Amino acid sequence: MERDATSSGVARRLSNIELLDWQGVPQRLGTFWKERPIVLVFIRHFG
Amino acid sequence: MRDEISKIRARGGELVIVGNGAPNFAAAFREDFELDCPLLVDPELRAYRAAGLRRGRVEALSPRLPLNALRALRAGSRQTSVEGDPWQLGGVFVIRPGGDLTYQYVSREAGDHAPVEQILAALDENAEKIPEGSATPRAQVWIGQALSRLVDPFILSSFDRTGFRIHSLTFQAEDLEVDLSGRRCLVTGANSGIGYETALALADLGAEVVLLCRNRERGDQAAQEIREATGNAKVFTEPVDMSDLGSIRAAAERLSSGSVDVLVHNAGVLPDERVETGDGLESVFATHVAGPHLLTRLLRGSLEKSPDGRVIWVSSGGMYTRRLNLRDPNWNERDYDGVIAYAETKRAQVVLAELWAEELRGSAVVVNSMHPGWADTPSVKSSLPRFHRVTKHILRTPAEGADSVVWMAACPRARRSTGRFFFDRKERRTHLLSSTRETEEDRRALWNLCESSTVERSQ
Repeated sequence: MERDATSSGVARRLSNIELLDWQGVPQRLGTFWKERPIVLVFIRHFG
Repeated sequence: MRDEISKIRARGGELVIVGNGAPNFAAAFREDFELDCPLLVDPELRAYRAAGLRRGRVEALSPRLPLNALRALRAGSRQTSVEGDPWQLGGVFVIRPGGDLTYQYVSREAGDHAPVEQILAALDENAEKIPEGSATPRAQVWIGQALSRLVDPFILSSFDRTGFRIHSLTFQAEDLEVDLSGRRCLVTGANSGIGYETALALADLGAEVVLLCRNRERGDQAAQEIREATGNAKVFTEPVDMSDLGSIRAAAERLSSGSVDVLVHNAGVLPDERVETGDGLESVFATHVAGPHLLTRLLRGSLEKSPDGRVIWVSSGGMYTRRLNLRDPNWNERDYDGVIAYAETKRAQVVLAELWAEELRGSAVVVNSMHPGWADTPSVKSSLPRFHRVTKHILRTPAEGADSVVWMAACPRARRSTGRFFFDRKERRTHLLSSTRETEEDRRALWNLCESSTVERSQ
């Protein structure tokens, strides 16, 4: 599998995924760490 | 949690939370915990999978989770777990600008926590980047390999759930980050146990899945559950009795119009008494050997239409105890013993997979067999009640038992082999005792037996 030299595997795979935010607006994951570091937390349950 | 957010922000970072519910769940979550950080929803678990959190080396998420969320939604209530520990995690990643990963943590058990100090330290611009070939840390793979070497000589001991935990340390999380959309998978005996978990996982990876079940109603029920749990509408039922050659011919006729990418021979029986089928075969031999042989033959053309055809035989570790029996496959001469019939036919499946691999060599179809370990399935409970009583605390879950089947069906790497036998995603030997080895002549005789047992008799 080809790897991007700079981006890590997980970040690269996640960066183009678009998810809806709590208001239903689509957000591309990669934009969140463009300017600042993020703690990305996957929780087991919501609501 | 707000406390953690301020600590993260004090270091110039931001907290981003991904949950697996619907947006309204997230809105409620936000309100309940008074959060002002980004909250995203991923009901299809795309990001979970991309992060290696779904199926793979650990069951970070229960495969039933979306189903539970759905049930909760139907009942008009939110999942009760919100009242529990909000830090019940699937995983935590710290990603720095430029896409550097400086921290990763995959939750192993419900309720374990990621250490907050380490997460905060990873936000620092001097934090060490995690060299990453896959989401599975190298040290973990190394420990898994060392433990496997220790445990595997006692082959039977690795069949239990501890064996799975150890073997799964070496699993590459990336192996199942596969998109199976456009692929058509058939699974026999798919309404419960390992077949159900296999169908669920394949549907979750996007494949069209056809559940081949003896009982239409139970098949439809399972298909409905899988559609709801995965959001994949392409899950269908095809009624077929794998012990009945006529039923198999009828089903194959309906199924063979399209191409078939994956065929999983999973249906199994273990009766107390000898049952003769309408075709004059003993039912265990018919279900495990003659029936699947016929179905493979009838779907051969459809499998060959696929650029990546795979046939998987779900055998059993019990096959290690028996030699191929060709003298009395239908139990006309012996006093019936269902457990021996089971083990003998499971041995036959391993050999038959090898023979089919030969038969299809040169095509794009690979044929392999596997054994799932000792899993706590409805069949084990009803057929081997004593075994189940004694071992139930060490049995694997059906999903753990199905793991290798899913891996063999989905992982690109898994199609490098044909005619091989797998356990916990690794090739294994097919004999532990020299007394179980069959001769080349026996192997040819098995093929002929399958051919002659399934030949269409003119009425």
